[in-house]
Amino acid sequence: MADFGALCLFVALATSGWAVLASYNGWRARLGELVLSAERAVYATWALVFLAVLSLQYCIFTDQFDLEYVASYSNRALPRLYKFTALWGGQAGSLLFWLFILVSYASLIVLTNRRRNRSLMPLVVTTLMVVSTFFLGLVSFMSRPFVRLAFMPEDGNGLNPQLQNPFMAIHPPCLYLGYVGLTLPFAFAIAALATGRLDDTWFRTTRRWTILSWFFLGTGVLLGGWWAYVELGWGGYWAWDPVENASLIPWLTCTAFLHSVMIEERKKMLRVWNLSLVIMSFLLSILGTFITRSGVISSVHSFTKSDIGPVFAAFLGLCTLVSVGLLLYRVPMLQSEHRLDSFVSRESTFLFNNLLLVGAAFAVLWGTLFPILSEAVRGVKITVGPPFFNEVMVPIAFALVTLAGICPVIAWRRASALKLVEKIQVPFWALLGAVAALLLGGVRDVYAIVSFSLATFVIATTVMEFWWGTRSRQRVTGQNAGSAFLSLVDRNKRRYGGFVVHLGFILIVIGVTGSTAFKQESTASLRRGESFSVGRYRMVFEDMVSQEDANREFMGARLAVYDGQSRRGTLVPGQNFYKAGQNPSTEVDIRYTLRDDLYLILTGFDPQEGRATLKAYLNPLVNWIWIGGGVLILGAWFAMLPDIRDRRRDAEAKLREVESRAA
Amino acid sequence: MPPETLRIPRVVRALAFVGACAVLPGVAAAGSGPTPRQQVEERLMCYCGCADLTVRVCTCGTADAIRREIDARLENGETPDQVVAAYVSRHGAQIRSAPSKAGFELLAWITPFAAILLAGSVLVIVVRRWGRRAPAGGTGDSRGGSVPAPFLPEDQKALERVRREMREER
Repeated sequence: MADFGALCLFVALATSGWAVLASYNGWRARLGELVLSAERAVYATWALVFLAVLSLQYCIFTDQFDLEYVASYSNRALPRLYKFTALWGGQAGSLLFWLFILVSYASLIVLTNRRRNRSLMPLVVTTLMVVSTFFLGLVSFMSRPFVRLAFMPEDGNGLNPQLQNPFMAIHPPCLYLGYVGLTLPFAFAIAALATGRLDDTWFRTTRRWTILSWFFLGTGVLLGGWWAYVELGWGGYWAWDPVENASLIPWLTCTAFLHSVMIEERKKMLRVWNLSLVIMSFLLSILGTFITRSGVISSVHSFTKSDIGPVFAAFLGLCTLVSVGLLLYRVPMLQSEHRLDSFVSRESTFLFNNLLLVGAAFAVLWGTLFPILSEAVRGVKITVGPPFFNEVMVPIAFALVTLAGICPVIAWRRASALKLVEKIQVPFWALLGAVAALLLGGVRDVYAIVSFSLATFVIATTVMEFWWGTRSRQRVTGQNAGSAFLSLVDRNKRRYGGFVVHLGFILIVIGVTGSTAFKQESTASLRRGESFSVGRYRMVFEDMVSQEDANREFMGARLAVYDGQSRRGTLVPGQNFYKAGQNPSTEVDIRYTLRDDLYLILTGFDPQEGRATLKAYLNPLVNWIWIGGGVLILGAWFAMLPDIRDRRRDAEAKLREVESRAA
Repeated sequence: MPPETLRIPRVVRALAFVGACAVLPGVAAAGSGPTPRQQVEERLMCYCGCADLTVRVCTCGTADAIRREIDARLENGETPDQVVAAYVSRHGAQIRSAPSKAGFELLAWITPFAAILLAGSVLVIVVRRWGRRAPAGGTGDSRGGSVPAPFLPEDQKALERVRREMREER
């Protein structure tokens, strides 16, 4: 089966290479048959890569430890779920999985554009399959998943204990769907630049794909934070680790694009900028992969280091050269059709939103790469850790939150300052009310006051937007409030889905502020029957417990949790000792509530003295981060649904396409 | 359509505004910062090798030992800066969790803000120029090699369907 998988990859390399040559030459020579052949080669590549993935999964599930990959990332006792996730637990497998997502996306694009965008499709296929060929080259020659060992080990090394968590079944696939999805708008942008067809077809076609990639990347980032929270055992969810940063950076530039593309749609402006953002997002996703894979920067995510870094760097250089070259070549064709009417307008707030989002992406990238710069310039290794990022990012985040509050209430083209003041009057009083309530409630942390009051401002402006819209619709249609609200959001899914995304973002801001500014902690070394406290909770150490299965042995401390005199339950923080691994893995236990999380860690146990060393964190409002993430996902999903205007626009585009062919 | 707003008396608004302006600086001054021990823990990375975490949050035995030493040094009268300097002289600059705000490392701190300010200035200039300039003409029109596809009988059906859908939408 392993040989079959390897063979599939070699044949896929040939079909992918053929797709590149046939689609490019078909476009040059205007040979429709050659282009059709390239598109069929895309489907063939997908089928072959799918067979290779199935082959690797079969080898993992049937414990074929003569395969280096299976011996390194699986073992006999590994539960079935983690045998499945072992596909992306190591480098070669994760690159294969990445490739599978890429060719799946490519096949879907070809399938959905059989009769649309025919002038762009040849070069879209060329671009997608160049990337596919690069990854096929990697898994065929450099990071091969089907390499055999010279001997057959009794058992495998097992999966990294930190990856044996249910989040690992969904977090990496989400991230990959996001990262790889950025290739689609990039491919359309390259095709538009190369063909000179720079009207709005390319971004209208890819708008939903871009939101989908942004959605998956954001979900992946959020799930990564949740995984870190429950698995890494340090009481936090975001450590500004280089690999975490690598996923955040393209998400920020993609967010900027989703805002600025609205200006291009309405006013035919920012065309160079939007193309730059799409190119930048793709290049940053490749840079992120380079950071993750090369080990050039130390990271807690260093599960998959190897020597493929230089190859990624070369590919990144090539992509940059081609895309920037094409963009510069087409700049004369990308003049704006309209001008900005006023500084006080929705357009200008979007411009400043873009400035801040791209500025934030740059700040994170700069901090991530600065250790390399320092070593290159001075020969001194330094660390750029959480204190740097917190200090630099907090002011940028506050400015972004403020804009999220002002932007929805400011009119397109030209807003009068008086109208603006009138519209933000109620939100402003809500802001002042929040400040007063926080002060009366005893809050003295300035960052928390600023953050919570700005959050109140944004929530107020967003809720009022829904209210104003509903009232206007009621007046126009005479419907009751409920029907008017439903028809309002149904007719403008993108606008109101966007507002829901803003609300989700604000809930995340509230969760991050609460869990950072008001975090409490306590450490104790306890004998049985002794207790310690954190915040309103008191924990009594009752006994040590142990549990064993085929894969691991668990040892934990059982603690009764009290809030005042009321017993709230039992928590059992502990450590897992995996039979195939060397190091124990911390298993925290958490009491979740909307108000706060009680987070317990067992850091050590002395059996001779019968003492357990425990650390407790009280993380206020932390669950609002995950709830906010859910709201954000819901909003993004709603914004992706087609509304009446989209359907009409699509119908008009179809009509233009068909009529041009009839002529 | 003019927005509907709640009417709040001017006197209340003025009092609230003055009150907020007077109270916020007081809050800023009264904000309780981290303790000296927490300050030092936050400024040092744990060198246990298991994760890139500050001493403040790392839960390993190495971090515990560092915390005990920090306590001892602070009790002996050393300032947080002196404790951090002692660790840097022993383990190198890499043990600091963030670049120092002097010399070359200052560049790390100022560059993001300088870049945003510079880009913001360019943005303001560009927007002003846009405001003065007359609308430019011409979209990126269709040039380059598109691949012609044959007009098939099913296209005629599609054309009719699309026209019908558009009539219905209207």
